[in-house]
Formats: sequence, structure tokens, C-alpha cells
Amino acid sequence: MPTLRPTLHLDRLGSVIAGLIGLALFASPFVTYRANRIVSGEGRLLVDALPPAGALITVVVVLGVAFCAALARKPLARLAAASLGLCVIFPAIGISAGFVTPAGNTFARVSPAIGFWLLALAFALLAADALTRLRLGPWGRLGALSVAAGALALLLVSGAWNDLSLMKEYANRAETFWREARQHLWLALGSMLAACLVGLPLGLASHRVPALRAAILNGLGIVQTIPSIALFGILIAPLGFLAANVPLAAALGIRGIGAAPAFIALFLYSLLPVVANTMAGLSQVPADVIEAARGMGLSRRQRLVQIELPLALPVILAGIRIVLVQNLGLATIAALIGGGGFGTFVFQGIGQTAIDLVLLGAIPTVALSFAAAIILDAIIDLTRRGAHDRD
Amino acid sequence: MIEIENLSKRYGDNIVVDDVSFTVGDGEIVVVVGTSGAGKSTLLRMINRLVAPDAGRVLIDGQDTTTIPEDELRHRIGYVIQGYGLFPHRTVAQNIATVPRLLGWDKARIAARVEELLDLFQLDPGEFAQKFPHQLSGGQQQRVGVARALAAKPALLLMDEPFGALDPVIRGKAQDDLLAIQRRLGTTIVLVTHDMNEAFHLGDRIAVMDGARLLQYATPAQLLTHPAEAFVEQLVGTVERPFRLLSLVTVKDAMEPGSADGEPITVSATLRDALAQLIWRGRPALPVADASGAPIGRISVDGILKHGRPLA
Amino acid sequence: MSARAVILRVAALLLLVVFVTAPQLFAFAFAPLAANNAPAIYNQGSLLALTLSHLRIVFLATCASTALAVALGIFVTRPKGREFLPLSRSLVNIGQTFPPIAVLAIAVPLVGFGEKPTFIALFLYGLLPIFENTLAGLTEVSPQTLEAARGMGMNARQRLWQVELPLALPVILAGIRLSVIISLGTATIGSTVAAKGLGEVIIAGLQSNNIAFILQGGLVVALLAVLIHDGLGLTERMAARKLGRFVDETA
Repeated sequence: MPTLRPTLHLDRLGSVIAGLIGLALFASPFVTYRANRIVSGEGRLLVDALPPAGALITVVVVLGVAFCAALARKPLARLAAASLGLCVIFPAIGISAGFVTPAGNTFARVSPAIGFWLLALAFALLAADALTRLRLGPWGRLGALSVAAGALALLLVSGAWNDLSLMKEYANRAETFWREARQHLWLALGSMLAACLVGLPLGLASHRVPALRAAILNGLGIVQTIPSIALFGILIAPLGFLAANVPLAAALGIRGIGAAPAFIALFLYSLLPVVANTMAGLSQVPADVIEAARGMGLSRRQRLVQIELPLALPVILAGIRIVLVQNLGLATIAALIGGGGFGTFVFQGIGQTAIDLVLLGAIPTVALSFAAAIILDAIIDLTRRGAHDRD
Repeated sequence: MIEIENLSKRYGDNIVVDDVSFTVGDGEIVVVVGTSGAGKSTLLRMINRLVAPDAGRVLIDGQDTTTIPEDELRHRIGYVIQGYGLFPHRTVAQNIATVPRLLGWDKARIAARVEELLDLFQLDPGEFAQKFPHQLSGGQQQRVGVARALAAKPALLLMDEPFGALDPVIRGKAQDDLLAIQRRLGTTIVLVTHDMNEAFHLGDRIAVMDGARLLQYATPAQLLTHPAEAFVEQLVGTVERPFRLLSLVTVKDAMEPGSADGEPITVSATLRDALAQLIWRGRPALPVADASGAPIGRISVDGILKHGRPLA
Repeated sequence: MSARAVILRVAALLLLVVFVTAPQLFAFAFAPLAANNAPAIYNQGSLLALTLSHLRIVFLATCASTALAVALGIFVTRPKGREFLPLSRSLVNIGQTFPPIAVLAIAVPLVGFGEKPTFIALFLYGLLPIFENTLAGLTEVSPQTLEAARGMGMNARQRLWQVELPLALPVILAGIRLSVIISLGTATIGSTVAAKGLGEVIIAGLQSNNIAFILQGGLVVALLAVLIHDGLGLTERMAARKLGRFVDETA
């Protein structure tokens, strides 16, 4: 008779995750209840934070996921378990907010507490590990991202989270939120586009003229080293001077303080990855391929457009990925100099020690960077694959 | 003496080494030869237990190697791999000193040993001791790799394709150097290669492996004259065979009394070299001289032919 | 390094030191920027003290991040920790999509204002590049070198200390350099949560609309970052040169 040992193999990572889940479930508060927005709150364990039936279902599912994490080895099974867990605790936190808030009390605030975050972390780790092991192709990863985004959108639109403090912060400033969102994207994407327009020709030029290379890379490298807020500060002085003395500049909305220095700083930060990767991409095109193209009579321009750029594309895109993720994060700092963006909420939240306001700024920023990284990684994979197919 | 008894190793369903046994005498060079994937390297790595055998055992001077702690065993066995695996962050001297340092030799003894080895491998200590591996040519790296393996005076040296990364011209010289050093130190060597010429050039005995099995273990001459299986015959090369055979015998064994005209051949040359000279100069016979150059006899085409097939 | 490069570096360092110890010497340069008779040079505290506390927190946080990140990097590349390797790679990728300011801001409500949230943000965010580079450095060591080390009877500990870590060192140092530069910037933002640092000068300028403060704060931080980056780069190149790696002098 076969022993049970091999089938009951304990997975190390799974055991750690199961431990995390146990800790979250029985030793940490699931939500924090506060009488109003400013006062400090009190924690509620999961069993006290949900109606009895809901609490039972949640505990059973969460424990089930913990067992699955510790014992199941197949990535698909673990992914399914993690998704199930997330599908239960995400709506549960919304229900809990409604349950804990006394009826008719509009001042009371309910926020996710450490227990919820630990559970979310544990399930996310389990899902991330399973997804890593599944080695999804680019389309698979994009699909997984859309499913996650769709589920999140459903939760937001359905109003399931409306009783949460975070969503109350949002409801109080919905209009500002979308304005800052547009500003954030404009800062991050606009400066990236500008950097591509300037950086691609600059990279091409440095590739063709080796004498330019060191100077351009060193200069941009130094810019990259300067901390964002310092660069903003350095740019404010000349822009302020420009605004004060050149009427046209002022008419264009350029001021010392505001979006202009932030935009320019983000643009400058973006140049190095674009230029360096354009150069790297072009220089890794095999010499014999270019030689063959010359031999077949392709003009310099045809070689560039038909051979060199397509082959360099994945590397150039990798540079753009770096820029995009970097800009989406750095744009938060723009709020400090009046440049707007999601950072507005972060800094306001710091000022008021209101963590939910901080999260209102931080969560969309992280979500955007995360999505941008996944999408661009997938695109890079697809162009790489294309390059191989052409071989 | 190294006794390899019924060694087997499998990875999953794949048998890599299948019940291999042979004995290596003290001071012998045994060459394990075969196509890639024949299990040669795994066999070698089971001798210093980099790979744990599934069955069988290895005895060194009668002692079962499993009774010696792994690391201690490896301190006593030199090991050279293709590409040498020199430590890029350590100088030549530090590389060579690796095992003596692990054994806790004192500094003076290590320094003396490093210098001795550099001299032995014709690397000027003043010039090379403080160089880093990337500053050496391929041939120099190879010599440092072997010197490092010999540093703690191991009685046994394992070599896995030690000349594989060298170009043919340097390879021949490196093989000759290894032979000379081995004759001087009397180290027992087990060497793995896929190159038949190398096997015949270096081996006192040759172990032919194919498909995880040991097909034949014999002296080069036996291998040529009595190949155990068709595969061995094919491997030693039917066309090349007579020449290989001649290269195993020196002029001394086929020398006749008398004299002949022309540039003399040294008595230590192989019959293959002698035949080549005879053909090239278009003569039926040439004089033979000893090491000092004094004529001591003659070698003829007829004499060499007599030494052909019936040699074994 | 050419004589010009040496002179340039020494001059930049000298300028920085003189500026933070005796900023009044430069008042003439900043005076035109200070409107309405506002002070031209930061007067709410000593620049030197701010620089030192800025450097102190970066140094302490980097030491802490290095210790943990290198230890974790070693753990997930040992046979016992292998199971965590794929996940830890993904985590580093995900972690880097978090902007440092988010970490800083989330820490404030949890631990209060001051040095603590700044230290936490610096420490956590500093882990990522060092961990990533430790992984890269340790997994890049050639299998041949490791095989040779094993074949010569080095035990696991000896292989780690005598072969793997020394070979991974230049890559780990590059990670530390990146981490230090990110930390210098995050520590500057730390002034918004009341950590003592050079960000104070810029924030004070923004609050009082004094461009002279903003500029001098920006310049000091920028110069500090560039010099530290350059200095750490030199250390790295020295470590790498020993290994005979191709080192781009201009990088």
C-alpha cells in the first residue's frame, strides 16, 4: 500500500502563506472603526466585523485557501484558490463596512485593517507565485490583467465598497479626483511622448556618431542622479524668471511653480532610458544583417526603417517601459510644487494624517504603474516574438 | 590503486552509467573515451562523489570512498574540467593555493609549493603569480588549471576534457607537457575525452563507453588488434588503425643491425614517424641514432611492415 | 581617470563643503532671486546640520537594507530557499512599481511624523535594487567556476564566502549605489513628514515662495547626489577591474 507521505508534501512557500492567513484571520483586526474621520480607531476581528453567516462563509473559504496553499502543488489549483479568496474578501470588506457602521451615522469611518491587508497580501502572493510558475505568454498575462481590472471595476461601479472610508473620501472629491487623474496622466504620458520625440533621434545620432555618445550619456546620467524634488527646485528658478520677463511664456501658462517644472523634469528624466536603449537596440543589430541589406541595395534610409529599427524595437520598448513606470511614480511628487496629479491627495493626506486620503492618491498610482508594466512587458514579448518569426 | 566496482547512475528513467567496473593501477593514465552522452563525465564525477552513485562503489587503495567525508575526499583528488573554472577574482598564485589553503597549510609552505608548480608548468613566477586569469592565454589558463589541481600533491587526478578548449596546435603541446609531468610525478590520472587521438596519445589503458555501458577496457594495442565490439572497431577507425598501431611502437623495437644513408632517425621516435620519414624521403631504409646522435642501426620499410598486424 | 576629471571632482566637492559650512559667502548669487527683502540664504537652521542628518538617515537605512537584502538574496539562491526564488523575482518587479512617496505616505499614519516613516520608506524601498542585484550577481556566477570549487572540496559556506560573494560583489555594489541615490531623493521628500534633511530648505522656499531657498536646496541635494553616485561608481569600478570585467570609464 502506498504511503501518504508523498501526496501530503508540505510546500514551504505555501506553508508561509498559510501561516500568514492564520495570523490575519485570528490575531489581527479585519477592519478599523472610527467615530469620525480624524480620531484614532479600534480594530474589529473578522468574526465581529461581518454578519454571522457572512463571517462563517468567509472564514471557511479563507481556511480552505490556506489548506490549498499548504498542500496543493499544481499552479492552476493554487491560482484558483487565490482568486477565490480574493473574490470573497474584497466584497466582504465592503459588506463589513456597512455592517460595522451604525445605521444613519454619517461621520463614522470604516477602513480595512491589518488583517484584511495581510489576507490580501497572502492571496496576492499565492496568485503571483502561481502565475510566475504558469509562465503565461503575453496574451495570457494581458488576459489575466483584464480579468483583474474588470473585477475591480465591477466592485467599484456596483457600489459594494461605498461604505468604506476610502470611497467616502473619493465621494467627497470625485470631481477633483478625475481632474487630478487627467493631470497625472498628462504629466506622465506627455513627458514620455516628448522624450520619445527628442530621445529617438538623439539615440540614433549617438549611434551613428560615436563622438557624441559619451557626452550625451554622461550628461543624461547626471540628470538621472538628481533627486526629483531637487530637479524641480532647480527648474523653478529659470522658469520663474522666464514667466516674469517673457510675456509669451506667461501667456502659455508657464510659471515658476506648477506643472511646467514638473513636466520638464519628467521629460529630462525620461531621456536617458530612451536614448540609451535606442543606442543599445541599434548597436545589437547583427553587423552581417546590415551588410546583407547593403549588399541587396537597400538605401541608408531603407536599412534604418526596414531593418535596424524593427530589430531594435524590443530594446527601445524596454526603455519606454522604464520611463513609463518611473514617470507614473515620479508624477506624484509634482503635487509638492503645485503641479497636480494623484500626489495632491497623498500630500493632503500626509498633512491631515488621513491614511484613506493618502491611499486615494497612492492606490491609483500603484495600479497604473502596475498595469503599465504588465502591458508593456507583454508588448515587448510580442515584438520579440515577431523579430524571431522573421528570422 | 583505484577500483571502480559496478557503478550505476540513473536520472529518472534515463540510465547514464550502467554497471561499470574497472581498475586503475598506480601511476597509470586511464582515458575514458566515447561519444557525448555516453556517461563518461558522470562516471568521472562519481569518483570524487560530485555525483552520488545509485549502486556500486569506488575504492581508493582499498578504502571505500563513502567512508571519507566528501570534501576531504575532494581535497585528496585533483580535478580539472573543460574551461578550467579558474576563480576570476583570484590571482594565479591564489588560484593554485586554493586546496592547500583549505587544508590549512602555513603560508611559507603554500608560497613554496605555488612557486614550485609555476616552475614545473613553465610559468615564470615573477611574471605570472600576480596575474588574474583573464590576463592569461588559453594555454596558460590550462596549465594553471592543472597546477591548481596538483597543488596539494594528490595521488589521483581526474580530468574532464582538459584540452577541449585549446586549439589543435597548443593542444598537442599541452598533451606532451602533461605526459612529461605525469611521468615525473607518478600521479595516477583518469581522463575523459571524446577525442580518439588524444586517448591513444595519452592512455596506458583506454575505457571505451557507449550508451552508459563500458564496452571495452584495454591497452591501446589490444583495442586496435582485438576490438571487443563493432562500435569499438568503428571508433578506433579502420583506415587509421595501422597507423595508430605503429604510433604505439618505437623504432627501438623494429631496429635492424647495419647502416643506411641519409639523415638518421632517433631511436625513441615512433614507427609511424619513421615510416613517414621513409616515404617522404623515398628511401627503403634510414640510419637510427641514439639520443647522443651516434648511429646504432637502421630501420627499413620491410622491418616496419613486419611489425604490422602480428604485433599484438 | 584623467587629470581634468580629478580636478573637476575635487572642485565640486570643495564647492559643496564650502557652501554648506559658510553659505553666507554665496548670498550675493541668490539675492536677486529673493523677492521682497526675503533672506537669500536659508536661515531657519544650519545647512551643515541638515546635510549631516540627511546623510545619516540615508546611511543607516542603506546599511539596514543592504544587510537584509543581501541575506534574502543569499537565502533564495541556496537549495533550501529555491522554492521562493520565482516569487521573489516577481515581487521585486511588482515592488518597483510602487513609488517611494507612496511608501512614505502610508508609513506616516502608522508610525507618526518625523524620522521613523522616512527611515521605513528608505529601508523598504532600498531593499529592492539591492535584492535584485544580489540575485543577479549570485545567479550569474559561472557554473564552471562553481563546479571547480565543489570539485576541490570547498563546502557550501566556503563556496559562498570565497567564490560566490566576491564574484557577485560588483553587481551588489551597483545595486547599493542605485539604492543610495533613490534614498537620497526619498529622504528629501521626507522633509514633508518632518524628517530633518535638506528637503526642508526646498519646502521652506515653496511655502514662503522664496525661489532663492528652492534653488539652493535643489543645488545642494543635486550636487550631493551626483558626487555620491560618482564616488560609489569609482568603488564599483575598482571592484570590477579586479575581475577583469569590461568597465566603461565613461559610465
